Amino acid sequence: MDVSVSVVVPVRTEGRGAVRADLEEVFRNTYPRVVAVAARVLGSRDQAEDVAQEVFLTFGRSSVPGGEALRWLSVAAAHTALNHLRSGRRRTSREEATHHGEAASPDVADAVVTLDERRRVRAALARLPRRQAVALVLRHSGLSYAEVATALDLSPGSVGTIVRRAESALRKELNQDASSD
Amino acid sequence: MRHPTDGTLRRLVDEPAGVADADREHVANCPVCLSGLAAAQRDAALTGAALHLDTAPDVDTGWRRLSRSAADERPRKTVASTTPAHRWRAALRSPVLAVAAVVALLVGASAAAATDWLQIFHTERIAPVAVPDVDLAKLPELDAFGELKVTEEVSVRQVADAAEAQRVTGLAVPQVSGLPRGVTGEPTYHVVGKASAEFTFSAAKAVQFAASAGGKAPPPPAGLDGSKFRLVVGPGLAAVWAQDRPVPAMVVGRVTAPTVFSSGIPFPTARDYLLSLPGLPGNVASQLRNFSSDGTTLPLFIPADEMTTSSADISGVPATVLTSKTGVMAAVVWVDKGVVTAVAGSMSADEVLSVARGLRWSR
Repeated sequence: MDVSVSVVVPVRTEGRGAVRADLEEVFRNTYPRVVAVAARVLGSRDQAEDVAQEVFLTFGRSSVPGGEALRWLSVAAAHTALNHLRSGRRRTSREEATHHGEAASPDVADAVVTLDERRRVRAALARLPRRQAVALVLRHSGLSYAEVATALDLSPGSVGTIVRRAESALRKELNQDASSD
Repeated sequence: MRHPTDGTLRRLVDEPAGVADADREHVANCPVCLSGLAAAQRDAALTGAALHLDTAPDVDTGWRRLSRSAADERPRKTVASTTPAHRWRAALRSPVLAVAAVVALLVGASAAAATDWLQIFHTERIAPVAVPDVDLAKLPELDAFGELKVTEEVSVRQVADAAEAQRVTGLAVPQVSGLPRGVTGEPTYHVVGKASAEFTFSAAKAVQFAASAGGKAPPPPAGLDGSKFRLVVGPGLAAVWAQDRPVPAMVVGRVTAPTVFSSGIPFPTARDYLLSLPGLPGNVASQLRNFSSDGTTLPLFIPADEMTTSSADISGVPATVLTSKTGVMAAVVWVDKGVVTAVAGSMSADEVLSVARGLRWSR
């Protein structure tokens, strides 16, 4: 199905081969914030850094204007991290299984609780409609209402509505999961 | 006055300057709104805490890692963009395109003993073949079985508008009658030129392929070694609603379906030989064996771990609906009068179907 040629290639063609000159400057200014966006989605520092690296590589070949870099990188990190959630969740459950198998230490109970909470948050996030999840993560990552609106093609007025809806859904999911455990 | 919306209350929580004075005053004196505001504050705080994770990545280490990856990537990219054969291979590596390749080869060999170039394969239907991720990675590329020479390169470029896309490709441009929620703005149009390649089957390479998979190739049937196939696909066009987002919200694409011409040997002979080679995942082989030998069904390899498929119809034409198991994206693909059309995007299966069914065609 060659449709993918006409679909994938146009998105990738810009600036192919050459890495943009301002990459290092943008990287040094924004890397911690981009990692933090991915971390909110994934709940894991290592996976968040992997996602940020992936996003900066794409950015390095893009012609996104420098002034829009942070917004673009944040949106890309949120989307990429949400894409990774599924495989990431599998990894987390493996880690969890390993963890349970270890000999008990005073901290194990706390650690398990944290892991379990994190797992519930990620699962709930993965169930949200994509736009709600992205708007939620971007807003909690410090993008202004206007920036979130631009990133998602929304009117600034509707960003609050979408974020509110996402938070309400997340709270319900968390309560539900908590009570069913 | 009316109560401000939940969205306005939410904005009061963390960006009050963005809320109109009248709304702020109303909320300050309205018990209903104050209660709504308190609930919004609680949910926002809960969510903030749930999502929070301390990260303090080391920027120097991160930069060194990125520099290494960028350096590793560059030579490969350069090769890919300057060597036609590599470019085709890269295109064929796409799981979706691999379809056209392997199948074109399999089904394509079908036309019996024609001596001149004879059209032996034309896509009229699409049938999904579910393949686990691991097997997908194992699907062979065409040049594992012979020599692939690109005669017309895959070329993609953006054009000014729908009219230009139609003029360049000769394909009618679909017009979307109603955009789904979340898809806004004007699309950009891209065209793909006709691409073609000539493939010469090599028995020696097939033996190598089998050996690399740890097996032994049976002796090739007479006439297969050195037989030639010509693959033609395109032109095509795509309307992409992406704005400057990294992931397009929606794509509507059309492409003249793949066609294969052969100077070759009987289809069953070639097919059975290829299927007998070790290395082709067993479940793929057995599903392919079931495809029609009339050379009209294009199998679509689907990563079974990530996508599910179902059937639908678009104005009476059978279509395949693909849905990612994460619910993140959906696509519908169908073939009508020799043209493959697809609608895909970050939306639900119902939404892509409704877009597909609502397409209007400019003439």
